[in-house]
Amino acid sequence: MAKKKPKQKPFGQLLREKRIEKGYSLRKFAQLVGVSPTYLSQVEQMNVDPPTADRVKRMAEILEESVDEWTALAGRLTEDLPAIIHESPTEVPDLLRAVRGLTGDQLRRLREDAERMKEEGRDEET
Amino acid sequence: MAKRVSKPGPKLRFMKDQEFEDEAALLLAEYGNQHGQVTAPPIPIDEIVELYLQLHLTFDDMQQLFGVSDVHGALWVNDRRVGIDHRLEPTDNPSMLGRYHFTLAHEAGHWRLHRHLFLRRANQLTLLPDNVERPEYICRSSDTEPIEYQANRFASCLLMPREMVKRAWHEWRGSMDPIYLDDLQAKRQQILTAEVLRRGGFKSGDNAEANMLLEHASRPLAATFEVSPDAMRIRLEGMKLLLREKENLLF
Repeated sequence: MAKKKPKQKPFGQLLREKRIEKGYSLRKFAQLVGVSPTYLSQVEQMNVDPPTADRVKRMAEILEESVDEWTALAGRLTEDLPAIIHESPTEVPDLLRAVRGLTGDQLRRLREDAERMKEEGRDEET
Repeated sequence: MAKRVSKPGPKLRFMKDQEFEDEAALLLAEYGNQHGQVTAPPIPIDEIVELYLQLHLTFDDMQQLFGVSDVHGALWVNDRRVGIDHRLEPTDNPSMLGRYHFTLAHEAGHWRLHRHLFLRRANQLTLLPDNVERPEYICRSSDTEPIEYQANRFASCLLMPREMVKRAWHEWRGSMDPIYLDDLQAKRQQILTAEVLRRGGFKSGDNAEANMLLEHASRPLAATFEVSPDAMRIRLEGMKLLLREKENLLF
């Protein structure tokens, strides 16, 4: 039987846990991110939607967490993704649909193949 | 027999003045052992509450939550949560810095001194409150209960540790001589005008004028310790560094 993926913690809860783990008080962390402590408290309590992508990025960077992972958890897209999709508006969505459901390991191998293909393409150009 | 209108609260132990000093000093020392000793004001009360006591700090609209206007803070013992009214949050409301610190220290006082009175016992479901969302402590500015007095005394000792206050006083004044109310009377008009302008009004009530004069004198240390002039005045009076009357000396 396939292993069940552990249930992901909600963004607000994870944010609070990691913030405390890194030794930042609510007010200190809010100051570093550039948001109001009251707003941050509401985010942590999950009373409001998660912050915008650039704020999530800043939070993840301060707490030394994966920006992509946190952005996804917050239900946002990193700012470079819309441009990437617009560059190949048919192929990229098709690719995303095709890889949907693959395991983390399969996705990693696919990414490595893609990087190799890019490298080879560069070599052929020179 | 007169009808009892409210349930009797949990039995509160009497505490001597020195016990508040000791309890607050102990908490500061425990925090210091984990996060570095605190040797100078202001006391890092946010870090004490969140990082050492591991209480979940939230900023909430207390007026909306409880339907009354003067709730500054609340403590949900079993959830390990401290809620502070968002109007006190000092980044958005800098003039509230002192009151915010005091409210947080007050809730820390409830946690240290009184939480055992309300901790839910896992095997005694009947002790569960009817509404588990209701905090065990709702702290209002109008409260005069002994349990609130104890939390205030604790907060005062925690935010203004006796030895630190003495040191700061000596650095500021150059001696340990107290300031007398009489000494302030000479500049009475000037001080009162400055205070009224700063506060945007005159607080009425007993001793209002004397308090204002003494709080004016407390302002430099209040700023150092990041507490309100009101809280600093009460501490300094308790330490006999601010005196309302000159003591009668034999010689």
